[in-house]
Amino acid sequence: MSEAIKVGTVDEIDEGTAKVVPSEETGTGEDIAVFHAEDGNFYALNDECTHETASLAEGWIEGVEVECPMHSARFSLKTGEALCMPAFIAARTHKVEVKDGEVLLFPNVNAEV
Amino acid sequence: MAGFTVAKELRGRGFAGAVTIIDPAGVPYDRPPLSKDYLLGTRDQAGIQLAAGDWFKDQDITIITGTAVALEPDVGTVVLEDGREITGDRVVLATGGTARRLPIPGGDLESVLELRTREDADRLRAMLKPGARLAIIGAGLIGAEVASSALPFGADVVLIDPQDPPLIPAVGHELANRLHAMHPERGVDVVTGAPVAITADDGGTHHIEMVSGETIAADAVLVGIGIIPETRLAESAGLETDNGTIVDESQRTAHPKVYAVGDSSRIRRADGTLLRRAEHWEHAMNTGATAAAALLGQELPRHGASWFWSDRHGVHVEGVGSMAGEGTVIVREKDGEPSVVFRLDPEGFLAGAAAVDGGFAVRAARRIIDRRIPVDPAQLADPMVDLRKLAR
Repeated sequence: MSEAIKVGTVDEIDEGTAKVVPSEETGTGEDIAVFHAEDGNFYALNDECTHETASLAEGWIEGVEVECPMHSARFSLKTGEALCMPAFIAARTHKVEVKDGEVLLFPNVNAEV
Repeated sequence: MAGFTVAKELRGRGFAGAVTIIDPAGVPYDRPPLSKDYLLGTRDQAGIQLAAGDWFKDQDITIITGTAVALEPDVGTVVLEDGREITGDRVVLATGGTARRLPIPGGDLESVLELRTREDADRLRAMLKPGARLAIIGAGLIGAEVASSALPFGADVVLIDPQDPPLIPAVGHELANRLHAMHPERGVDVVTGAPVAITADDGGTHHIEMVSGETIAADAVLVGIGIIPETRLAESAGLETDNGTIVDESQRTAHPKVYAVGDSSRIRRADGTLLRRAEHWEHAMNTGATAAAALLGQELPRHGASWFWSDRHGVHVEGVGSMAGEGTVIVREKDGEPSVVFRLDPEGFLAGAAAVDGGFAVRAARRIIDRRIPVDPAQLADPMVDLRKLAR
């Protein structure tokens, strides 16, 4: 299992917002967005929308979904599933854990559903 | 888009029967990139398919490449141009439309370009060369997007529209002005006026005669003035059409076996009101989803305020609801320019919004409209107020 990355403390990412971990830090070659969803939990997906170039971290978070800021494709934060067009391909998930108030990202480890 | 969505939603909603898509173009593709990434060459044919070829196989959806020319609704039989006949228990018409031609002398010239299909985009791209003169008639969404996309090719672009600025009903005065002013800033020559005739000389140069008497010479002419719905199949079946195939709110025609979706359909509400026919991408998707639910006897999905987008000159434009109509317009500025505009209806509820690089604005506005959340005009205008907070 890959090394966990400290994304920040729980308080640093407000509910309904996201923080991008740049590709230089993720080691996966891709930026990863860590979302604080409205169910109170943290989730992570590859930041780039699977449809066109857009940052999902800048999207609208509602419940446990994120809506792309460009063309309104929606993704499940839990599974990465593309919930509506124009996206068709699921976004890759990454495991996130909260430990002692720290948000930890495990790049390339699938989220447990 | 509409037909594809019907098939996708039928499977997503658990339908296990046979699904066949008949389309002259074969595997269905997404049209918005035709004036942007596909025209620019940054996305290819495979990149604009609505789903990969494997997907159709996996979902057991048959694609027949062919053109339907007649429909016999009572037996559910579709007749193709090559004589083949395909029969289904239900038939969904997702025939879209054809680009509207200019009703002036020369408007029907074969060499006058339009942009509706992949082949149209290929033909247009082949004309885009350094120094080539492209005249675009119609500065709406497609015209403006093509003007923007043609610049990196080094083409000299003239954008012609009788309105200055166009798009007021879609985005309101303030943003329409801002967007139209971007064209000359980026090197597009904007001409306000109506063309009265187009001629092509032996050298292939087109001459657009304007009502003002001015003549504009161009190597290529593109007309982007909307579409005419393709309703011939519906007519062949004796179904009612009126600028679109008439359907009810479940997308069903008067014939119980036949549905119509997308650009070619027009909804008549239960109370008899005939809605304006919509031509946007999302409408195609939404009507496809509704038809799929209706075909399966499921509860119809509820769709919120209509939404569209446009990308040109490096900015992202979005609109939701309707900016046309009575009420109050509120402008939110950013860096001294209008960034988001809102229209409140006479009762004070948000009815429409549009934004240029507005970030969350349109997503927030959509929720405010759909949920009829009361809003304070001063807060809408204040760029320091987070619109997300107003929508929750």
